[in-house]
Amino acid sequence: MIELNVNDIKKNFGGLQALNGVTFQVRGPELVGLIGPNGAGKTTLTNILDGVIKASSGTVYLNGQRIDTMPPYHVARAGLGRTFQVTRAFRRMTVLENLLVPAMALHATASRRSLEKKAWEVLEFLTFEHLVNDYGRSLSGGQQKLLELGRLLMLDPDIIILDEPFAGVHPKLMERIYEYITTVNAQGKAFIIISHDMDTIFTLSQRLLVLNFGELIADGDPEVVRHDPAVVEAYLGEEEEAASPAMTETYLGRDKREDA
Amino acid sequence: MKRKWLWGLIAVVVLLLVAAPAGLETSPYFMHIAIVAFFYAILASSWSLLAGYAGQFSFAHMAFMAIGAYAAGLFGKYVHLTNAPTGTCFELSLAKMWLVFGASCLELGKASMPAGTLIYRPPAPPGIVLGVIMGGIFGLLIGVLVLRLRRTYLALFTIGFSEIVRITLNAEIEVTGGPNGLELAPLFPNGIHLLGLYFSPTNKIPPYYVMLALFLGAMAFMYWLAGSRFGLFIRAIREDEEAAAALGVHIVRYKVLVFAITAMIAAAAGAVFAHYIGVITPNILLILQMSLVIAMAVIGGLETLIGAAIGAIIIEFALEFMRTSFNIGPLEIDMTTWRLVFFGLLLMLTLRFWNNGLIYPIIQRLTRGGITQETVAKRVVVTESAVEGTVEGQG
Repeated sequence: MIELNVNDIKKNFGGLQALNGVTFQVRGPELVGLIGPNGAGKTTLTNILDGVIKASSGTVYLNGQRIDTMPPYHVARAGLGRTFQVTRAFRRMTVLENLLVPAMALHATASRRSLEKKAWEVLEFLTFEHLVNDYGRSLSGGQQKLLELGRLLMLDPDIIILDEPFAGVHPKLMERIYEYITTVNAQGKAFIIISHDMDTIFTLSQRLLVLNFGELIADGDPEVVRHDPAVVEAYLGEEEEAASPAMTETYLGRDKREDA
Repeated sequence: MKRKWLWGLIAVVVLLLVAAPAGLETSPYFMHIAIVAFFYAILASSWSLLAGYAGQFSFAHMAFMAIGAYAAGLFGKYVHLTNAPTGTCFELSLAKMWLVFGASCLELGKASMPAGTLIYRPPAPPGIVLGVIMGGIFGLLIGVLVLRLRRTYLALFTIGFSEIVRITLNAEIEVTGGPNGLELAPLFPNGIHLLGLYFSPTNKIPPYYVMLALFLGAMAFMYWLAGSRFGLFIRAIREDEEAAAALGVHIVRYKVLVFAITAMIAAAAGAVFAHYIGVITPNILLILQMSLVIAMAVIGGLETLIGAAIGAIIIEFALEFMRTSFNIGPLEIDMTTWRLVFFGLLLMLTLRFWNNGLIYPIIQRLTRGGITQETVAKRVVVTESAVEGTVEGQG
């Protein structure tokens, strides 16, 4: 059972309070959306969960193991994987090599052959077989995002944090990223997705967290959060809220509520 | 098929290098250039592993080389073997011999030692091993200190370290010989018998084979490393440290390790080369020398070990052959100076027009040419099937 406990996380950068007592839990294979205006502290929170920066106070436990004191590589091995806002494919390494990095880091004694076999399964899942020997730099922005997701499959974490997975991506590739998330989620992985794409995040998320000025101002069902006055005032705005019924008609061609 | 062909080519080149002394025995000068070329090839390729593969643009490589050379030299200066105890030095009993540490105490002890006591300089190998260990220790230390430094800061830090080593070696005249240098025993002080032939201590053939073996051994080791998970991880670190760490790569371990390993390889080259030359001076640490190694790697191709090595060998030979001055009418062109200008021009042109080096593109063609065609063919198939799918869908 996946269990992430984020307890009273605070982070100061000099005089700036980037996060102020953020507390939430993820239990089981949830699909959690994390939204908030620019500067709300979303990326800072992600970096703390990942171990890139240390919290000023508070704790983070993943499956009973404290991870906020661990270095990033240890957090990754403990079961938390992430992507970055700006795509970070290894540009001068081939697609296959990109996939092998997390697998080899995780399985120190496994043979390269067995890991390559697993990489080919991921390549098939991403329909990237034809790009196996291409360098990361030769892929399009959207393909690089998919490659990052593929690397996470090789890492096989319990919780996956995606920072702006849909930003600047062609609609066709967006569909594939959407499919990736729903498929992998159905396989039992939890997701925390940061996005400014309101249509997609409301459609995709089972639960929504809203950060504003470093504080968690809402945590709950997307439909409830959508009408939360604090969220409307801080982030969505009245126009967005009024337009809410149409938002489910996303250009992804999906309507979660209709599907349900 | 392509791979077999490549291995065949490597085997032929190795055989030619092994057989070369047979045809060049009468040209000690040529043999000397070959030995120096192998020395630089080891340095350029190991620097390529550090800077090209791991992205650690260090200027301390020649300092590690010098640490290896001086450690070997100081071992020869301060450690001796005797068949009687000195009573004045710190000494260890080894069977019927004594391992004596210290030079001045040995001089004092000579008076009280029995007549006929033999004092030997130790053979080169233990000094070389000590040099490699010292190179590794300093590499580890610098690797830890520069963990958080990148690009310009790393370069400046390592220049600073290199200068400290050079100035210390210059200043400590009593220990290191200062600017006059430190003398080392030849690799084979009594000559050597090989395949029934005797080679004198000054013969170039034995050191040629020693340096060739070190070069081939270092290349094989580095290629093995580059092809292992170690190589994959250091390249991932070069590309993006944060992303590599987020994928489970232990950044600290691999950054420190790559410094230590490449420092050990440079130190081994330095220790062997110093024994071959017979004297080592702090001038080997001048920034010009480090620049030469960097330029060799850049011209050969920074991201390929063999490219950097071939670059080093070609440039070393070219620089030597360009020494011959000539006249244009009444004007005498002093090539001892002008050759460096040509070399600088070649470096500038390489950086401007072929920033992957001159050798690397050829290697890419040999090793990835088929892959590119294969990928293009697969892309065509994928595109065609997508188009067919669209047409069917429309139909």
